[in-house]
Amino acid sequence: MNIGPLGAMGRVLEFPRRRVSEPGEVVDDWGRDPGLVRQLAALSQLRWSVTVGGDQHLPRRKGALVVVNARRFALAPIFAAFAIGEAVDRPVRFVGRSDSAPLGPLGRRIGGLLDHPDEVFGALRAGELVVLGAEASTGLRQVGYVGRIKHEHVGAATAAGVQVFPAATMSSPFGRGARVEIGQATRPSRRRRGPLAELELADHLRDEIVRLLDEMGEIRTGTPIDWLPLSGLGGH
Amino acid sequence: MGGRRVFVSGVGSELGTLVTGMLEAEPWVGSLAGIDADPPRRRLPKTTFHRIPPDQHDRIVETITRFNPHVLVHIGVWEPDARASPKMARMLTDQAATSMIGAAAEGPAIEHLVVRSGIEIYGRGRNSLTRPDETAPIRPTSEWGRMVAEIEHIAARVSARVGVSVGAVRLAPVLGPHVPSPLGRMLRNPVVPFSVLADPPFAVIKDHDAARAIVAAAREGLAEPVNVVASGAVTCLQALRRGRRVPFPLIGPDWQVAKALSYLFGSPIPDHVAEVLHRGRLADNGRMAELLGVVPESTTSDVIDELYGWPSIIRQPARVVAA
Repeated sequence: MNIGPLGAMGRVLEFPRRRVSEPGEVVDDWGRDPGLVRQLAALSQLRWSVTVGGDQHLPRRKGALVVVNARRFALAPIFAAFAIGEAVDRPVRFVGRSDSAPLGPLGRRIGGLLDHPDEVFGALRAGELVVLGAEASTGLRQVGYVGRIKHEHVGAATAAGVQVFPAATMSSPFGRGARVEIGQATRPSRRRRGPLAELELADHLRDEIVRLLDEMGEIRTGTPIDWLPLSGLGGH
Repeated sequence: MGGRRVFVSGVGSELGTLVTGMLEAEPWVGSLAGIDADPPRRRLPKTTFHRIPPDQHDRIVETITRFNPHVLVHIGVWEPDARASPKMARMLTDQAATSMIGAAAEGPAIEHLVVRSGIEIYGRGRNSLTRPDETAPIRPTSEWGRMVAEIEHIAARVSARVGVSVGAVRLAPVLGPHVPSPLGRMLRNPVVPFSVLADPPFAVIKDHDAARAIVAAAREGLAEPVNVVASGAVTCLQALRRGRRVPFPLIGPDWQVAKALSYLFGSPIPDHVAEVLHRGRLADNGRMAELLGVVPESTTSDVIDELYGWPSIIRQPARVVAA
């Protein structure tokens, strides 16, 4: 994933030539454009240098839901989807595209799904890897906070019979360094017959993401305080 | 299972002729009959053809009840601006659906209905699912979508009254060398408008794959809807680049001018095709193999490539009789 800013720039500059010289490229079943994603992933490396850990937990072919923490304007589900996609070398979708032009169609071209449980269910049943962001935290005071996870989407994963993975994301508004750490598949703590299962699973996922964030152990506040050698303090 | 009587409505269309030709080769089919306003496109040696317009209800009822089919395959639908204007297409489709399905319900032997429907039935309203499966709500947003929804509604009513099973084959836009398709016709124009802000993806199905799916639905006794869509998708701009056509980018109000010009050049853009260009049209084909036992042989990009490979007009020189 980390090819450096110069390498990323080279890939981005190559984009127009490839668009002209490869007219045969088509979108996939969900409207994702692999060529465009490749180039935008390269472009995103100008902004983020993402390290992915724990990707060996993800299934190689089957569908799975990866739930990440998010911060407002940090585009965590998008950069996580790009980074995981490059790490596991298969298409990764993210939940939360708009349905209005021009952002909606652009979101669809880079792997976005509508924020609807049926849409998530369809993708998971079709064997896709889907990244879902928790409710975004809003300020520096909420560093380390994990927002509400939509239990309807977790329910869609349960209904589709796929595994659900917690993942912690960390990025800074100013720095390039970013990290995605994927945990092991989360299972419900007890068997339920009704919708309580998805509620409990969503809560459990939230706890797991908090634990992963704690284990990452660095402070990323997005302020000059990040430059101080305080990483030994831990937490977020 | 052998010796079943199968009746095909709409046998004169390209798809109807393909389906009937395949049914002739099926071992479980005992006798075959078909009805349409136009004769079949090819020779169908084992099929009895009745040329009856869809408004002649009495003759249709008499013909179908006399044949007393076990299975009715209803393909007699008119896509707007394919062979008829939208208004005429609506009228003919309604008449055919009411007459054919109603007549089949009168036959004592009828056990199964297969109706040709379309994925336009799901509609493309705001926040509608990208790839609706068969359980998605039916909210058509085009004339063609409402027409196929009405056909399914009529078939469901008959099913409830008479107690026969009904299978709806929801086809993606059908393309083929001889299929009259407003989408295919538009894409083959030398200059084609596309929505530069949206350029959404769509999927299609080849006529041969559509026919195989309909035959499989009749054979398997399909008793629910199924999406029949080729794998993959393509956007309008990508299709035009594959066909080496000139793309003409449009944003909004200029679409009205483009539609009028396209109409004048003999390639009208009905609302369901305009919807494809603005909102896209995909559907989940994941249950095809399970319900029908067949999967499409051609992907969407294959069909688009073939679309541009089919000759426009084959000119045959007049035969001169030797003196």
